[in-house]
Amino acid sequence: MAVIRDINVHKDAEKHLAQMEGRYRGLLEAAPDAMVVVNQGGEIVLLNLQAEKQFGYQRDELVGQKVKNIIPEGFAERLIADGTRSAADALAQQIGTGIELTGRRKDGSDFPIEIMLSPLESAEGILVTAAIRDISVRKDAEKHLAQMEGRYRGLLEAAPDAMVVVNQGGEIVLLNVQAEKQFGYRRDELVGQKVKNIIPEGFAERLVADALRSAEDALAQQIGAGIELTGRRKNGSDFPIEIMLSPLESAEGILVTAAIRDITKRKKAEAHLLQKVEELNRSNEELEQFAYVASHDLQEPLRMVASYTQLLSRRYKGKLDSDADEFIAFAVDGASRMERLIQDLLAYSRVGTKGKDLLDTSSEEALQQALLNLRGAIEESGALVTHDPLPTVLADEMQLIQLFQNLVGNAIKYQSPGIPRVHISAAKNGGKKWIFSVQDNGLGIDSQYFEKIFGVFQRLHKREEFAGTGIGLAICRKIVERHGGSISVESQPGQGSTFRFAFAGSERKS
Amino acid sequence: MKAIRGGGRPVEVLLVEDSPGDVRLTQEAFRDANAFIHLHVASDGVEAMAFLRREGAHVHAPRPGLILLDLNLPKMDGREVLTHIKEDAGLRAIPTVILTTSEAEADIVKSYQLQANCYLSKPAQLDAFESLVKSINDFWLTKVKLPQQRQSG
Repeated sequence: MAVIRDINVHKDAEKHLAQMEGRYRGLLEAAPDAMVVVNQGGEIVLLNLQAEKQFGYQRDELVGQKVKNIIPEGFAERLIADGTRSAADALAQQIGTGIELTGRRKDGSDFPIEIMLSPLESAEGILVTAAIRDISVRKDAEKHLAQMEGRYRGLLEAAPDAMVVVNQGGEIVLLNVQAEKQFGYRRDELVGQKVKNIIPEGFAERLVADALRSAEDALAQQIGAGIELTGRRKNGSDFPIEIMLSPLESAEGILVTAAIRDITKRKKAEAHLLQKVEELNRSNEELEQFAYVASHDLQEPLRMVASYTQLLSRRYKGKLDSDADEFIAFAVDGASRMERLIQDLLAYSRVGTKGKDLLDTSSEEALQQALLNLRGAIEESGALVTHDPLPTVLADEMQLIQLFQNLVGNAIKYQSPGIPRVHISAAKNGGKKWIFSVQDNGLGIDSQYFEKIFGVFQRLHKREEFAGTGIGLAICRKIVERHGGSISVESQPGQGSTFRFAFAGSERKS
Repeated sequence: MKAIRGGGRPVEVLLVEDSPGDVRLTQEAFRDANAFIHLHVASDGVEAMAFLRREGAHVHAPRPGLILLDLNLPKMDGREVLTHIKEDAGLRAIPTVILTTSEAEADIVKSYQLQANCYLSKPAQLDAFESLVKSINDFWLTKVKLPQQRQSG
């Protein structure tokens, strides 16, 4: 009975074992990694389907074989040491921190593996279970990453700007040689330090917000549209910088790359430019003021000269000798020309000093008013003045009238015998500007004078041929320029002239 | 043309003007326009007020029927003179005409605010100036009806 009982106990144990083995095998096959169980002699006692696949063998080709056949180095040597480890130690060992070795397939090819070993007590003594993961993909990725990092570093160093990579805590994790130079620190003096040390304000505060930006936003941000801040060198001196931030995903979380440009020169140039513009504006204003005051104050003594020479002429003409009459006539003529010059200079300076705001103005009505003012000249010459429908533009109405008046007046005045024909039209130049044309059939102008005629007191004809001081076109140019446009002429002697100028269209209707 | 207002007495006009050339020109122009005008001249604002208030050397000055006032004057300028005239109950009825070279809008506005009776700017041409003086004579010294006051100042 005892024997029988013994046999029964044995049978129960075998049954139990078989159950256990079945469960264990199930677990083994369900594992995502290749699993190989090896005994102390380095022979494979058990393996799963993944192991068959990974190494390219049939199960029966491996069971009983040396594990060195599939993992040539580093595994068999570890068996003894690992067999003595405690179960607690084994549990602490995670697959992620396993040992990296090389696996060899049946076809002889090698591949990188990571194995995690754990002891397994069994009837045959302590066995070692090895979980084997094919890490070729991860290895490739790591290699790629290392290459990328090398390339990134290369880019970082090649960048013309100082580059500083900062983590979410506002600490500098990486920088390039330009950053060392710009801030006057050695690299090791900055890495791990707060970015506030070199950019006291406005950067660290932005890190949170910037970490939340999408990559698209980051790409959209150009250096030209960067943030202007102040950098501080190791020696404590400050300098103006422009920084552009962009997020950089990394294993340590999102980092922020800052491209930092020293804009001292640009700032100086800007300040210099601003100063020059101010100076120029001031000198222009002073000049205008001077012209205005001078011509205004010149009028007073001139009025005396003009009035008394006229009085002389009136009362004493024919009562002195003929020389006296001639001298007085010259004095009278000189004084009245002087008066016209002063009046014109005053009118010229008023374009700037007395200009009104630019408002929506009907250029057609302005032209009508100009033609009304020129009624005498038009009737006298028999001129035929025609025009297309004209647009509403942004203008100082009085000045637009004067502009038309001067241009149409000139067109009528500088005529060869015949009927003067003048045509005014306007066309859009694609943008918001209107190009006006005043075309005539008059004398025309030689191209060498195209620029000169717009100067102050520039005349192409003798006074005996055509009266005038030569201010008309200078006033035209000043008016057009005050409206943000330019004026030019196209002409050939004997072929008439076309004066063109641009005005901004009305903002209400385009 | 009616040259004399009321009972054949000559018309008294005060010209406040510092430029001798302008004074003479105005005299010439008035002589052509109206032979019965007494043109008195004050060459600065202080003298003008002394004349109007019959002070100092002007104790026997007549009350003018018209004041021609330049704006830019030494000592006391035309704006101040105008202010004093219009604040003075005895003087404010005297027509005061601004006659100046200034065409500045600010001067025109200011003068009317100070109750100038009108603002004229001197033309540069002799003909135009003579014609302006003739207009002053025809309007202010001929057509305009003024209160007949002969009060002491």
